[in-house]
Amino acid sequence: MKTPARHRAQLRDWGAATLVALLIASAVFFVHRNREFRAREEGRARAAALAVARGEPPVGRVDLAGVVSPPRASAAYPFLRHRSFVEAGGDGAARELGGPCAPAADKLVYDAAGRFEAEGAFAGFLPDGSGRVVAATPTEGGVAVAVSTPPGGPDAFPWLTLIGVLGLGAALAGAGSVMGGAARPLGLALGASGLAVPTFLWGGALPATLIGLVALGVAWSAGRGGTDRFFGALAAHRTALSFVAPAAVSMAVLVATPFVVGLVLGFYDHDANSWKFVGLDNFAHILSGGGKAFDDPGNFWFVLGVTVLWTVCNVALHVTLGVALALLLRQKWLRGKGVFRMLLILPWAIPNYITALIWKGMFQSEYGAINSLLDLAGLGHGVSWFSSWSTAFTANVVTNTWLGFPFMMVVALGALESIPRDLYEAAEVDGASAWQRFHHITLPHLRPALGPAVVMGSIWTFNMFNVIFLVSRGEPGGSTDILVTNAYRWAFERDEYGMAAAYATIIFLILLLWTVFGTKVTRKEAAP
Amino acid sequence: MTARRTRPSWLGVAATYAALLVVTAVVLYPVMLVCKKAFEPGRQFALSASPIPREVTLDHFRALMGAHGSHGELLFLRHAMNSALVALATTVVGVILSCTAAYALSRFRFPGRRAGLTTFLVVQMFPASMLLLPLYVLLDKMSLLNSVTGLVMVYATTAIPFCVWTLKGYFDGLPRELEEAARIDGAGPWRIFFTIMLPLARPGIAVTALFSFMTAWNEFIMASTFMTEETRYTLPVLLQSSVGQYSADWGLFAAGAIVTSVPVMALFYVLQRSLVGGLTAGSVKG
Repeated sequence: MKTPARHRAQLRDWGAATLVALLIASAVFFVHRNREFRAREEGRARAAALAVARGEPPVGRVDLAGVVSPPRASAAYPFLRHRSFVEAGGDGAARELGGPCAPAADKLVYDAAGRFEAEGAFAGFLPDGSGRVVAATPTEGGVAVAVSTPPGGPDAFPWLTLIGVLGLGAALAGAGSVMGGAARPLGLALGASGLAVPTFLWGGALPATLIGLVALGVAWSAGRGGTDRFFGALAAHRTALSFVAPAAVSMAVLVATPFVVGLVLGFYDHDANSWKFVGLDNFAHILSGGGKAFDDPGNFWFVLGVTVLWTVCNVALHVTLGVALALLLRQKWLRGKGVFRMLLILPWAIPNYITALIWKGMFQSEYGAINSLLDLAGLGHGVSWFSSWSTAFTANVVTNTWLGFPFMMVVALGALESIPRDLYEAAEVDGASAWQRFHHITLPHLRPALGPAVVMGSIWTFNMFNVIFLVSRGEPGGSTDILVTNAYRWAFERDEYGMAAAYATIIFLILLLWTVFGTKVTRKEAAP
Repeated sequence: MTARRTRPSWLGVAATYAALLVVTAVVLYPVMLVCKKAFEPGRQFALSASPIPREVTLDHFRALMGAHGSHGELLFLRHAMNSALVALATTVVGVILSCTAAYALSRFRFPGRRAGLTTFLVVQMFPASMLLLPLYVLLDKMSLLNSVTGLVMVYATTAIPFCVWTLKGYFDGLPRELEEAARIDGAGPWRIFFTIMLPLARPGIAVTALFSFMTAWNEFIMASTFMTEETRYTLPVLLQSSVGQYSADWGLFAAGAIVTSVPVMALFYVLQRSLVGGLTAGSVKG
């Protein structure tokens, strides 16, 4: 028997809605279950540790439990700390923790005592993924420590409940479809939102509302034919979409996930491994300059100013140098053109971190090549390049110019090759001067090719992490840092992950604006 | 000055040659310093002025190749293997995942095509260093720090969009007649892709693969952030640590820089024409 088309469409919509609802419900279930699991296991270990602290045998199953003494300095090596250990339920004799043939759990107990002295009583999962919990509480003569046994398998996913809800939903959706009219979207909405009930029981109101909204949305769009159109497009372009799928899915996983995580982290404050939601505080702190003066390297606007100056200086130098060299190389009578071109693109061929390290060595104040050359030329002696802002910034710019001009030169050469020679001949016949020929023929032909290259070059320079990080290292005092290196310092030198993430978000917005603006301008120029 | 002059003045000729020679000298000078340092004995001096070595020795190369780690393993070999493995895996992952997408973006018209192209371009242009922190947090959670797998996943974030764009450019340049003929003969899209387009695109795929290999081989900041154990270093991390803040061995660095960069530089010279074409094609059409 053939199912009527509207039944099929109805059931398909219901299937899509259910899938989304099922995903939400499953996620909620696992989060909820893990939270419960954690509370239960930590409770078990804590109870065991408390029992040991009272001098009783530990309750429940434990791998190891007992009392650890405070640390004593080792007689042989004063920097080593020994602890002794009395196992609960044993013969009451104390033994040294650790040593050549000690059990592996000794290390856990020793570390737990150390953590207890730093943080006070605690209970928490061991970071080894075994599901064991270690708990510590104070007691007479030391710390009571208990390491629980690994638990049995976790609770099963509630398949039966879900199958029941799915069956009920399908029945509702099917009934709506048979009745037709307004009952169709109603049946859909009721059927899919059925999953909200168990979700509400496991995880609270928010995910249940989410599922209800999904169901309502699907029913609404099904009523207006929206899902039909969507599935129609999906079916019509299924070949193209399946070709794109591998790259699209991997990008979604590899790029979208860290990107979204980065956006979210910007709203948190990170301190000693715990995250606290602080809303827009990080952004406010950054954009207000953090209460620092405008000429302080800790002020965002100072860093932004340095970054813009850095980008403008470099791109201007790259373009000027690149175009000038391309014009020289284009002379018809020039010999050894190929050799010059090959040698001049050498900096592009060298990996840029190596270039940066080479120039760092050359700018070294005592033995560096630059100072030796300056000395020979009588221009200066023992310049300490990285102790003042202007010289450090200059060193960075010189390095980056050296490594960046070949790209612009090659782009300009390509554009120059496309200019027909007749144009120049005609202009010469008409008596145009060299400057007029450059201004009216060469420049207009260079622009469409150089425009995108400048946009791209500016983005590369804006993000030129390696040169700043390796040549000046932000010296003196972080004042030559650009935005990306500053974000790096927030993350990996100051451990302020939240601030670093907020920084990265701001950098992203700046780049996005610039790209949109830049492509608009170059498009306008490209289309005369 | 750009004009075709039948008889340029001798002054102009001399000035042009002089300018080109000066710039070439500036370009060559740092390279010569590194070569000198690599063959000159002594480790403590930075790159000093004279580009001619006083005496020649292979000590630095020997020290580089013979450095042992705490378990007696040959460190340089380890780092070179790490670099090669990461770059190779990144290339394979990038090319395999992106070649079908590049073909579809070149040939088919479907909803979301423009948005997809823009996304790939934006992701490729915005550097991975902006994703550094979230990637670090995620890899830490998954225990993938100091792991080749983790680094390959990170590199794939830029390798995939790069491969999609360059391969799309290559497919754009291939004639459509063969596909149409095959379609008339009854071949389906997958068959056309695998038996006709893929073999035709082999040169394009080779160039793309070599470029993504070079990019991964030359990457520094991600590797230095995610690979912190000495045996896990890639070559860029080794080179940077050899001239660190507190102890610098410029001879070792110079030798390492030569060994690391000469292969990729040779590759660059072979491929440079196609690189320029690909880059500008991507940016103009985007």
